[in-house]
Amino acid sequence: MSATTKMKKRKRESFGVMDAVLFILLTLFLLCILIPFLNVIAISFTSYKEYMQSTWVIWPKEPTLAAYQELLNDGRILIGYKTTITYVLIGVPINLVMCTTLAYALFRKGWPGRKLVLTLVMFTMIFNGGIVPMYLVMKSLGLTNTIWAVILAQGMNTFNMILIYNYFNSLPEALVESANLDGASEWTILVRIVLPLSKPILATVVLFVMVQLWNEYFMSMIFLRSKEWQSLQQVLRSIVMDSQVVDTAAQLADIGDRNFTDGIKMAAVMVTMVPIMCVYPFLQKYFTKGIMIGAVK
Amino acid sequence: MGKTPKTSKTKSGTVITSANATGMRKVLISMRKHWQIYVLLIPAAIWYIMFAYYPMAGLQLAFKTYKVREGIWGSPWCGLKNYEAVFRDSYFWNSISRTLMVNLGRLIFTFPAPVLLALMLNELRMGKYKKFIQTVFTFPHFLSWVIVASILTNLLSIDGLVNSVLTALGGNVINFLGNEKLFTPHLYVSDIWKGAGYSSIIYLSAISGIDQDQYEAAEIDGASRWQRIIYITLPNILPTISILFIMTCGNLMTAGFDQIFNLKNAATKGVAEVLDIYIYRITFEGSTDFGFSTAVSLFRSVFNMLFLLIANKVSKLLGGSGLFG
Repeated sequence: MSATTKMKKRKRESFGVMDAVLFILLTLFLLCILIPFLNVIAISFTSYKEYMQSTWVIWPKEPTLAAYQELLNDGRILIGYKTTITYVLIGVPINLVMCTTLAYALFRKGWPGRKLVLTLVMFTMIFNGGIVPMYLVMKSLGLTNTIWAVILAQGMNTFNMILIYNYFNSLPEALVESANLDGASEWTILVRIVLPLSKPILATVVLFVMVQLWNEYFMSMIFLRSKEWQSLQQVLRSIVMDSQVVDTAAQLADIGDRNFTDGIKMAAVMVTMVPIMCVYPFLQKYFTKGIMIGAVK
Repeated sequence: MGKTPKTSKTKSGTVITSANATGMRKVLISMRKHWQIYVLLIPAAIWYIMFAYYPMAGLQLAFKTYKVREGIWGSPWCGLKNYEAVFRDSYFWNSISRTLMVNLGRLIFTFPAPVLLALMLNELRMGKYKKFIQTVFTFPHFLSWVIVASILTNLLSIDGLVNSVLTALGGNVINFLGNEKLFTPHLYVSDIWKGAGYSSIIYLSAISGIDQDQYEAAEIDGASRWQRIIYITLPNILPTISILFIMTCGNLMTAGFDQIFNLKNAATKGVAEVLDIYIYRITFEGSTDFGFSTAVSLFRSVFNMLFLLIANKVSKLLGGSGLFG
């Protein structure tokens, strides 16, 4: 009641100096974020000729797909797509199984060793071996230069597990207890009762893991040094970095028209970014909840 | 209502305290009763052992001379020899001080940004516009640093948009990316560009939890909008701010590998060598001495943990919930 009357009162207040200042400041920040994106989009569709006349591209007069064509011809981006999509297709189910089974086991109280398991799991959040021992472990397992090193290293995320664990704890206890008394097995309770009630948090975690794997760069850089498997982010970086070298060489030799490096770079950024843009509306629906539960813990 | 928990408490109490044979048997019986739980634990247990605890055991290399043929376990012990070498390495000390400097700068420049943003967004009255800008502000958080670095490099390079505008306005071209002095500011700016919108969500939800009566009382007393922000909104979200501040302090030794690795270039690599970059360089570029790099790695892990535990303790002392239990 008080909230609605207040809203009305606020609306009645006139548009003052403060509103104007706020509007201007926030719009400035908005432009700071939007313009770089628009610039990337514009350059990726600009022809080399037009770009040479003026690098100040707001929108190309004659949009062209030449840069994307060139990017496809280069072929590295396809390797990136293959690798990263494989990460997502294998990594998401692995993460989901690991997180839900562990979260469920911790959620069920009364079994000996629960406290110890919880402590051991939480300890990994504040202490880890770091990358050097991890590399040696993967090497001794013979997993370096295979995508399994990356997928397995990213196979579990304690933070996501805690999100699920907290959600399980918020479910009505009576449901689980009555199923337990009816003699249902733990597996049945998890699959038939708990998981169907947890769809929102499972969706959240699936989206988080998808983004995490899509953006995977560090582990790939360390473990994948083959030409056949390269994560999308690795490929993007190599395109952006390599063509910087090509750029100066092309400028020196004045053979810039052979390929338009800035255009290809920005096309590569676009191709890497657009899938995240497509998932973003769904992400937006869930991440607030994710942050909040995470913050409560 | 108070009856049932009491009895169960004494029951479990006897199970734990009595170390005699019947106690052990009770535990075993209880374990057998819950066998399905242990089956469910298997996948995660394998993962934690293989990819969390086994690498931790590998940290013993910090006190060993690594021999490729003998592996982690067979290599001979060498006491503190690795640490003697590490502490003699001036690059190591440089990377430590650079990490601390960068992170202290973050506390000053990056940390307040989401607070300000949340306060501003909260005061903005145009509902639909607000929703739109929040959607835009939050988006960069979900992009990788490789993408963000590519976008910002494109924007700030010598022939990029910013310099084109500067020259069009009659200014001089500024070499934003090749200047060592501009590297740390560039880190803060990119931090804010990528993360401020997302981080502001937590403050916005803290603000939305404030009791509306406080605002009404203030309004009746004739408080201006500005006064309401300073005397009601800000004090109410202060606990959230202080907890997040302390947690940020807990990460003082981590400076964000992906960000710095992707934003640095040949001209700025000298100032960009924070601890994580240093570890990467000594481990994966050039000649490798795994004993030496594990020693640095262990140093980093231990200090990270100490900072986090201290931060957690302080947060609890101030009445916050803390991160762990």
